[in-house]
Amino acid sequence: MNRWLRYRIADALITAIAAVIALIVLVRLLPGDPLTAILGDRGADPATRAMLEARWGTDRTLLQTLASFVGGVLHGDLGISLSEQRPVTTVLAERLGPTLLLGSLTLLIDFTVGLALGVWAALHPDTLRARLLGFFTLIGYAVPSFVVGTLLMWIFAVKLGWVESGGLTDTLLARDAPATAVLVDRLKHLALPLAAMVIATIAVPLRQQRTAALETAAQPWVLAARARGVRPAAIAWRHCWRPALTPIVTLFGLWLPMLVAGAVFVEYVFNWPGMGSLLAHATFSRDFPLVIGAGLVLIAFVQLGSLLADVLYHVVDPTQRPS
Amino acid sequence: MTAPGRIGLALLLALASFAIVGPMIAASPVAQPDPLNGAFLLPSAAHWLGTDQLSRDIFARLAYGARVSLAIAAIAVAVAAMVGSAVGLAGGSSTGLVGRALQRIINLGLALPRIIVLLVVLAAVGRIPPPLLGVLLGLTGWPAVARLVRGETLRLARAPYVDAAHALGAPHARVLLRDIFPGTLPALLVATTLGVADAILLEAGLSFIGVGVRPPDPSWGSMILEARDHLANAPWLLLAPCVALVLATSAATLLGESLRRSLQPDTR
Repeated sequence: MNRWLRYRIADALITAIAAVIALIVLVRLLPGDPLTAILGDRGADPATRAMLEARWGTDRTLLQTLASFVGGVLHGDLGISLSEQRPVTTVLAERLGPTLLLGSLTLLIDFTVGLALGVWAALHPDTLRARLLGFFTLIGYAVPSFVVGTLLMWIFAVKLGWVESGGLTDTLLARDAPATAVLVDRLKHLALPLAAMVIATIAVPLRQQRTAALETAAQPWVLAARARGVRPAAIAWRHCWRPALTPIVTLFGLWLPMLVAGAVFVEYVFNWPGMGSLLAHATFSRDFPLVIGAGLVLIAFVQLGSLLADVLYHVVDPTQRPS
Repeated sequence: MTAPGRIGLALLLALASFAIVGPMIAASPVAQPDPLNGAFLLPSAAHWLGTDQLSRDIFARLAYGARVSLAIAAIAVAVAAMVGSAVGLAGGSSTGLVGRALQRIINLGLALPRIIVLLVVLAAVGRIPPPLLGVLLGLTGWPAVARLVRGETLRLARAPYVDAAHALGAPHARVLLRDIFPGTLPALLVATTLGVADAILLEAGLSFIGVGVRPPDPSWGSMILEARDHLANAPWLLLAPCVALVLATSAATLLGESLRRSLQPDTR
């Protein structure tokens, strides 16, 4: 197990490093000079331009860029954001909290309510309510998250005025406001982005869990357990639920990166100050050090998710354990 | 094909015809002669879906936007299917160093989040013409196709009829193209149909955050972005692009799921 795990971690690290290098090579190979784009019509005299090139490192060769980037990463330095004129790491650190909040709550609801609804749908396969559930989840899956978000914003924030339409907190809220008022304010800002995220994503775990539950319930070992007189609760728990977990574990690993960037479009709709809206604005202002920095974090989470899924896979399914 | 699948196919065909015919019968998608009194008009005989904040005809924008959005999605899935099946077939049929290298490349492509690659490229090049955006979406979508086709190729390479073809002395390339490749088509068709929905969603999302299709080119995503700023005084601006977008993605999803059920009954 330990040897397998060490190999697996090394593999994740190498893949992540290769992915980041591929990203940087890609940027350098692309046509278009960001400095010219940012200076725009103003232009700059040769001396200023040379100074700016040296400062932002656009005069370096590909290998120099790679070397300085890798060196920087090892020192916890991802360069300077072009649009904010601050270290990329500082900007990213500010944005990580709100994104983790939104992403973790989405994952939590998806993998509790979604799974429960999936099991429920599998237990009541031909009822009208289950069909309706199936229909609405399919719609939720096909409707883009930012369309859901914009519609929710129109109904609940603009028309009804029940919740806030954007941002993380009310900037006018008094500093010494009581804790309950702060909490209510937070929830009013969180409600719509979270609802949009859940509506747009919950269909996938729900449908996977339903399919998996239906499949395992039809397995011969379930019939055998029933014939042996095993209690129904034990059948549901030990014989059906555990084998049905494998695809869910895979999905969880694939979705872990959503914690940091699953919400680019939803965050943009609600002006949520997280990594997603940061990425959108950074792309628009062609701030590629910032985009690459965010990409680095996201790539790390992708590898972490797949690593975690592989480990959990072995916990869930003993037959898959490496000897 | 199941009933939802037929509905999806009919919807997709209807949207494609709308993209072709719509712009021919629509008014001009640019601002009206009297922008002051022509903005935010409600639907009428002259403007079937009303006008937007710049007095542009919404029906015309929707029709031209359909052309842009659907053409981008078509280019994207075509590129992804071609590159993905080429790499997948080569990866699944090569042994030794080449096979391992191709598997590494596919895994590397899968390790790079699609949205990040798209945003990095768009940040570096800035404005991009719609057809190139389609190519870009395709070039970021191929690794998933390649993994699928590689898996199918590996599976089919063990099939008895492939052994038979080898035993009859068929050359390697012939077996690959005439015996194995057709076998990967059902999976490829399902993935490509579902890929249409993904491509439409991604294009709309990128245009919505202002980095995909940019003004003056119309796109459903950028129409929603512009409508968002007028939610309080003109909420109907939101309706048309949202409905079009939802119809398109639902249609592709329904068709793809239905094809999966009929072509790959053993999966899912």
